[in-house]
Amino acid sequence: MRRSLTLYGLTFSLPLLIWQLLFFVFPLVFLVALSFWTVKNFRMQPDIDAVNWVTMYGRPLFWQAYGITFAMSAAAAALVSALAFPCSYAIAFKLSETGRRWAVFLMVIPFFTSYLVRVYSWQIFLSDAGIINVMLGWVGLGPYGLLNTVGATMIGYLTLTFPLVVLLQLFSLAFIDRTLIEAAHNLRCGRLRTVFAVIIPSARVGLVIAALFAFILSFGDFVSPIYLGGGDPTTLSILITDTTKSGQQWPRAAVIALTMIGTLMAVAFAAVRFAYKGRTK
Amino acid sequence: MKNDTLVSFEGVVKRFGEFVAVQRMDFEIGKGEFLAIMGSSGCGKTTTLRMLAGLEAPSEGVIRLSGKPINDLPTWSRDTPMVWQSLALFPFLNVIENVEFALKMRGVGKAERRRKAEQWLDRMQITEFASRNISQLSGGQRQRVALARSLVVEPEILLLDEPLSALDAALKVRMQSVLKNLQRETGITFVYVTHSQSEAFSMADRVVIMSRGKIEQIGTPKEIYRTPRTRFVAGFLGSSNMFTGKVSGSDGGVVTLDTPAGALRLSAAGMPQPVAAGQTATLTVLDTKTDLAVTPPSGRVNTLPVRMIGEEFIGATATIYLETADGQEIRIQKSHEDLANLPLQIGQELVAHWSYEDGHLVMEE
Amino acid sequence: MSDKDTASINRNRAVDVALLAYIVLSYAFVFAPIAASFVFSFNSDRFPSIPLGQFSLEWYRAVASDPLVWQGLRNTLFVGVIVGVVATALGFGAAYTDFRYRFFGKQVYLALALLPPTIPVVILGLAMLAYLSRINLSGNALSVIIAHVVICAPFAMAIIRLRLSQMDPDLEAAAWNLGASEWAAMRHVIIPFAKPAIFGALFITMAVSFDEFAIAWFVSGLNETLPVKVLGFLQGQVSPRINAIGTFVFVTSMTLVILAQILLTGRGAKARPGADEQE
Repeated sequence: MRRSLTLYGLTFSLPLLIWQLLFFVFPLVFLVALSFWTVKNFRMQPDIDAVNWVTMYGRPLFWQAYGITFAMSAAAAALVSALAFPCSYAIAFKLSETGRRWAVFLMVIPFFTSYLVRVYSWQIFLSDAGIINVMLGWVGLGPYGLLNTVGATMIGYLTLTFPLVVLLQLFSLAFIDRTLIEAAHNLRCGRLRTVFAVIIPSARVGLVIAALFAFILSFGDFVSPIYLGGGDPTTLSILITDTTKSGQQWPRAAVIALTMIGTLMAVAFAAVRFAYKGRTK
Repeated sequence: MKNDTLVSFEGVVKRFGEFVAVQRMDFEIGKGEFLAIMGSSGCGKTTTLRMLAGLEAPSEGVIRLSGKPINDLPTWSRDTPMVWQSLALFPFLNVIENVEFALKMRGVGKAERRRKAEQWLDRMQITEFASRNISQLSGGQRQRVALARSLVVEPEILLLDEPLSALDAALKVRMQSVLKNLQRETGITFVYVTHSQSEAFSMADRVVIMSRGKIEQIGTPKEIYRTPRTRFVAGFLGSSNMFTGKVSGSDGGVVTLDTPAGALRLSAAGMPQPVAAGQTATLTVLDTKTDLAVTPPSGRVNTLPVRMIGEEFIGATATIYLETADGQEIRIQKSHEDLANLPLQIGQELVAHWSYEDGHLVMEE
Repeated sequence: MSDKDTASINRNRAVDVALLAYIVLSYAFVFAPIAASFVFSFNSDRFPSIPLGQFSLEWYRAVASDPLVWQGLRNTLFVGVIVGVVATALGFGAAYTDFRYRFFGKQVYLALALLPPTIPVVILGLAMLAYLSRINLSGNALSVIIAHVVICAPFAMAIIRLRLSQMDPDLEAAAWNLGASEWAAMRHVIIPFAKPAIFGALFITMAVSFDEFAIAWFVSGLNETLPVKVLGFLQGQVSPRINAIGTFVFVTSMTLVILAQILLTGRGAKARPGADEQE
C-alpha cells in the first residue's frame, strides 16, 4: 500500500532531508546572505549591501581570473574527452569480458588515493631536477621549466578527471547495441566512419555528461592551479582563498563562490540540453 | 457452497488516479471453494487479489472476510497468505527458515515453529532440502517452498497470483494436480489468479472471467464453456465460432438470426430470457460441435457453404480453417477419424453444419 | 581478392594493437603518480628524483615519530568511523525512501540527496566554514564530521539503492502478507537483503572520509578547520613524508574498498548460479 508518508516512512526519509537542509542547503543559502554583508575594521557585519558584488564585478582581475578559469576548464574538458575516448573505446570493444572488468577495477583505484598525494607526486616528475628532466638530460636536452606552467595545471586536471571520464564514457559505450555497429559495417561504413557516424552519436549523452563532469571538477579545483601551476595565472579558486585571507573579506569570497555556482549551473543546464537535443525524435 | 460464504466483495471499486482498475464488483467466495479469477493482463484480476490481501485499499465498497469488513485491516493483520507470481522467497533465508517466517512473525516459539515447518516440508515432499539456499532449488521445488511458507499458518484462505507462470509446460501440469489435491485435502479456500484458461478450467470449482476491470461471467467451468454469457467471454475462450446479427424472428421454439453469413437458427430451449425481433445478438457454436460435409445434410441443422483455407494438426485432433462466403474465418476441431472421409485440400468447397441445439445465443449488452 | 582480404585483416590488427597500446599508455598515466608516491616513500633523498637513492624507511620513521601524526591518525579514524556510520544510516534511509515511496517533490529530495559531491570542495568548504562558525559549530571534530557526512551520504545512498533495485519488489509485501509489520519487515527482510551493501557503504564512506582529508589532518594537526587546513598544507613546506602518509592511506583505503568489494559481489555472486534442476 503506497500511502502517503507515515511515521514509519518519515523515520527513514527525514534524517537525510534534515541533514542536507541544515548542512548543505543552509550553508549555500547563508553564502548568499554573506555576500551582502560588509567588512569594517576586519570584522564582518550582517548587512544588506551590494558593495561586494559591485567591488568584485568592477575588478578587471576578477574577470581575468574568470575568463582564464573558464577557458582552462573548458580546454581540460575537451582535452580529457578526446584523450579518454580512444581508451574507453578500446576497453569497450577490444577487451574480453575479464579484461574489461579488470580495466574498470583499475580505473576505480585512483578514486581511493588522495588527489593531493597524486598531484604532489607529479612534482617529482615535472620539477627542474625531476624524473622527466633527468631523462631528457640523458639525451642531451633540457632542462625545461615544466613545473608552474599552464601545461602542468592541465596535467593536474587530467589526473583529477581522466579516470572518471573514462568510466562514464565506458558506461555509455557499453549500452550501444552491437548490431547497430554491425549494421553500419554491413552498409559499407568503414571502421573510422562508424566511430563518428554511429558510435559517437549513440553514446552522445554519456560523452557530454562525462565532459560536463570534467568541466565541473576542473572549474572548482584549486589544488592543481596552485601546486602544479604555481598559482599563476590566478584561477577563481585561488582568488577565493586569497580573498578570505586578505582582511576577512569573506563576503567578497562569497561573491566569487556564488558566481562559480551560477556558472556551473548554467553550463550543466546547457550541457544537458545539448546532450538530449533531438532525442525525442 | 454459497450459503457458507467466506469472502464477499460488495460494490468494490479500485481507482488509480483517473484509471479505473476495478469497476463496481459484487461477488462471493464460498468456504472451501477453489475459485479462479481469469482474464488477460490489465483486466484487474491481480488488483482484486491484492485488495483481498490488503496490498491495495479499495476506493469504494466493502470487502468482508468471514462476515467482518477488512478494508482497514493492514496486510499483516490479515490471515490471507499469498503465493506470488515471482514466489518472493527470501533469498537470504534457507528453505526451512522461509517456511518458519510467518510463524516467527506471529511470535510462535522456536521449537513449535520448527516442528510445524518440518511437517509442511514433509507434506510438500521437500524435507531433504530443508537447509538449502533458495538459489539451489529448481523451479518446482521453489513452488513447493512457497506453498509451504503460506500454508504453515493453516489459513482459511490462500491467494495465488499466477504461481505457475514461470514453469515449463510439463511441470505446470504436475503442479496443477499437486495444487488441486492440496486444496481438496486441506479444505482451504483457494483464490487463484491466472491468464491461462487451461489452469483455471482444470482446477477451479468456479471461474470468474474479468475484462477491463469488470466481471464478465462467474460460473463453473462447464457453464462458462457451454454457455458463454457475453461475446467477450466466447471470444476470450476462443473455442467457439461466432456469428453476429439481428434476431429476425422466433417461431416454434426456434430463433432465427440474420447474419452476414446467412440466416442461422437455434433452439430457444434453455435461453435465459425471451428474445425480441430486431435485437442484436451473437450466435456461438463450439468448434468441436461444428461438423463438415461435402453435401448439406437435412434436418434441424444450420448449413454454411465454406472454403477450406488451412489446416493444423496437434496430437490426435486436427483444426481445419475455413472461410464463409462473406469472408468470415471459422474453424472446426475434430479427431482424424472424423475427418477421414472428407476431401481436405486447400481451396476445397465444403459445407459446415451444426444442429439447432448446439447453437447458443449471446445478447449484446 | 585474397590479397585484399589479408590487407584488411592486417590493417585491423594494426589498429587493434595501437588501441591496446593506447590503453596501456592511459593506465601508465593514471598510475604514474600513484606508483611514484609509493616508490619514493622508500627513497632516502630529500628531493625525490631519479636515479633513486637508497632504500630507506626514514620518512615512515619521521611520520611515526611525530606525535601530531598519531593524534591525526586517531582523529581521522574516529571521524572516519562516525562519518561512515552516520552517512550509511542517512544514505540507507534515503535509498529506502526512493525504493518504496512515491511522493510530491521526490525529484527535489533526490537532488538534495545526491548533489553535494558535484559542488566544488572550495565552495562547499567556504560555505560550510562560514555557516558553521556562524552557528558556533566550527573548529572541532564535530564540524569535520558534519561536512564529511554531507559529502559521503550520497555515496552510501547510491550503493544501497543499487542493491535494493536488485530486490524482488514483492519481497517486502510478501513479508507483510505473512504477518510482518512494517518494522518487522524492515528488520527481517529489507536489512538482511541490503546487508552486504550496508557494509559496503560503511567501508566506502569511511575510505572516502579517510583519504580525502586525512592528509590535511596528518600534516597540520587538528587545531584548524578543514578547508583552512587543506590550504595551509598546500602553502606550507611539504617533505616526502607526504609520500609515506599517502602510501599508508592508500593501503588502508584499498583494504577498505576491497573488503567492500568482496561484501558487495561475493555474496551476490554466490546467490546467482543457476539452480540444479532436479524436478
